[in-house]
Amino acid sequence: MQNPDKFTKEKNLTPIILAMKDLKELYEAVITGDAVTARSITEEALSGETDPLSLVSEHLTPAMDEIGRRFEASECFVPELLLSARAMKGAMELIQPRLLESGVELLGRVIVATVKGDLHDIGKNLVAAVLEGGGFEVIDMGVNVEPEKIVETIKEKDVQIVVLSALLTTTMPAMKTSIEAIEAAGVRDKVTILVGGAPVTQRFADEIGADGYSDSAVGAVAVARKAVGA
Amino acid sequence: MNGRERILALLEGREVDRLPLMPITMMFAADQIGANYRDYATDYRVMAEGQIFTAEKFDFDYVNTMSDPAREAADCGAVIEYFDNQPAAIVENQARLADKTDLASLKIPDPLGGGRMNNGINAVALMVEKVGKEKLVEGWIEGPCAEAADLRGINTLMLDFYDDPAFVRDLFEFIIEMELRFARAQIDAGADSIGLGDAAASLVGPQIYEEFVWPFEKKLIDGIHEMGALVRLHICGNTRPILGDMARLKCDIVDLDFLAPLEEGRKKMGPDQVLLGNIDPVRVMRNGNAELVTSTVAECHRQAGKRYIVGAGCEIPYDTPEENIQALHDYAASHRPDLDDS
Repeated sequence: MQNPDKFTKEKNLTPIILAMKDLKELYEAVITGDAVTARSITEEALSGETDPLSLVSEHLTPAMDEIGRRFEASECFVPELLLSARAMKGAMELIQPRLLESGVELLGRVIVATVKGDLHDIGKNLVAAVLEGGGFEVIDMGVNVEPEKIVETIKEKDVQIVVLSALLTTTMPAMKTSIEAIEAAGVRDKVTILVGGAPVTQRFADEIGADGYSDSAVGAVAVARKAVGA
Repeated sequence: MNGRERILALLEGREVDRLPLMPITMMFAADQIGANYRDYATDYRVMAEGQIFTAEKFDFDYVNTMSDPAREAADCGAVIEYFDNQPAAIVENQARLADKTDLASLKIPDPLGGGRMNNGINAVALMVEKVGKEKLVEGWIEGPCAEAADLRGINTLMLDFYDDPAFVRDLFEFIIEMELRFARAQIDAGADSIGLGDAAASLVGPQIYEEFVWPFEKKLIDGIHEMGALVRLHICGNTRPILGDMARLKCDIVDLDFLAPLEEGRKKMGPDQVLLGNIDPVRVMRNGNAELVTSTVAECHRQAGKRYIVGAGCEIPYDTPEENIQALHDYAASHRPDLDDS
């Protein structure tokens, strides 16, 4: 296949030709973490006839799935995963308003939060990135998140999945407190609650009444997809 | 043979009466004396009391001044949040070097300038005074990757490796200079050994580790050796992809987290490297029972062979049952390094 960049440069054609650029390059741009290219291809695609949802499902999600696979297999590491996530997010920022306009829904709406008292966020950020890349709408609530804030967001944003993260044995109990607050607010049945983080185990997840657990970011996507029947 | 003699003898390849015991305790030690963790991390007298009490109660062979990763960053002016019941943490969204250009004007803080590093140095001096003849006294510093993450924000640093590698190198240079001064002051205060914690180094993968992190870790370790102290390297997390490079650092003790099997460490690091670890701190030490601790440490010993020091993969959690620590001690106390001699 001809390289569209080369073609355009050589023939000095107008940028409109770029709209026809092979969208496979979007996949490659996310894989290589090239945020500038991912954004420009997405912009061009959206200015043409391309279906915004197909950009997500056919290019961004497969790219993040692939980078997640490489991460799990120790073929790439945190810097590369975060680079890909940044490229994917740049593209998503452009796509999301278009999805909203056309009333298209993603796989589900997910809250991701590091629980109260815990300031560690890199694990949470990796999970948020692969979930967003995996086709979910992610609301990243940050670190040290009060249970009440989680409850408020569930109510306001019609959330389907809550993902809680903790890195410390001392903050794991805040996962339980968060689940109790969700129960007390009467919204427990509305959401699937997933937990994770270095000291968290399946046994702990069961004890505190979480619906799912994963010991890896990529595993969290599989659990979340299962939760929404995708 | 006392604890200090035992560790030094093992490191020098001399005969020892039993396996040395060097688990990391921080919150557990504070709990032992009923102190809240904020005081433990900010008052060297509380830390020394907690460490000495715990080491004497469970017959550990050393005491250690690690409390959290934020001592150096605090003295650099980073925003730190302290907690009563968990280690101090750096507030990443207000990172000291959120603006990269601030590095140019950042001055290396004087370790003896009355800040948190000074507090750590005072802890070393007090421990040396109280138990320095019987127990090995270990100071603590952060490694280049961990400290860069503390100053810059870990998420940002991970992208900097690609976005601005020259900045990362400048930042690492600054850090190595600071850490060498901090180590110097701890050694002057009497520390036998410097623990080097480089947690974030396990996140970057072998290529970035070798190209960026390793040369700076090496410079730091060589510098500490030149000062006449021992070096214990501890990198939290899964270090399997970088074990071979870690071997070339020539640390006196390599302390492996539970995600990197000791067997693999032995294979990659050769027969002479002293390995320490690596019982799962949560699933075995905290959640398991004495029997599980005993069988796990026996397996660690089998995998590591005779150049081995007993310990967990990382900090022993505060609510670990005392009988599990006792089981760890009992294994060390009843076994010589060479399994055939035990």
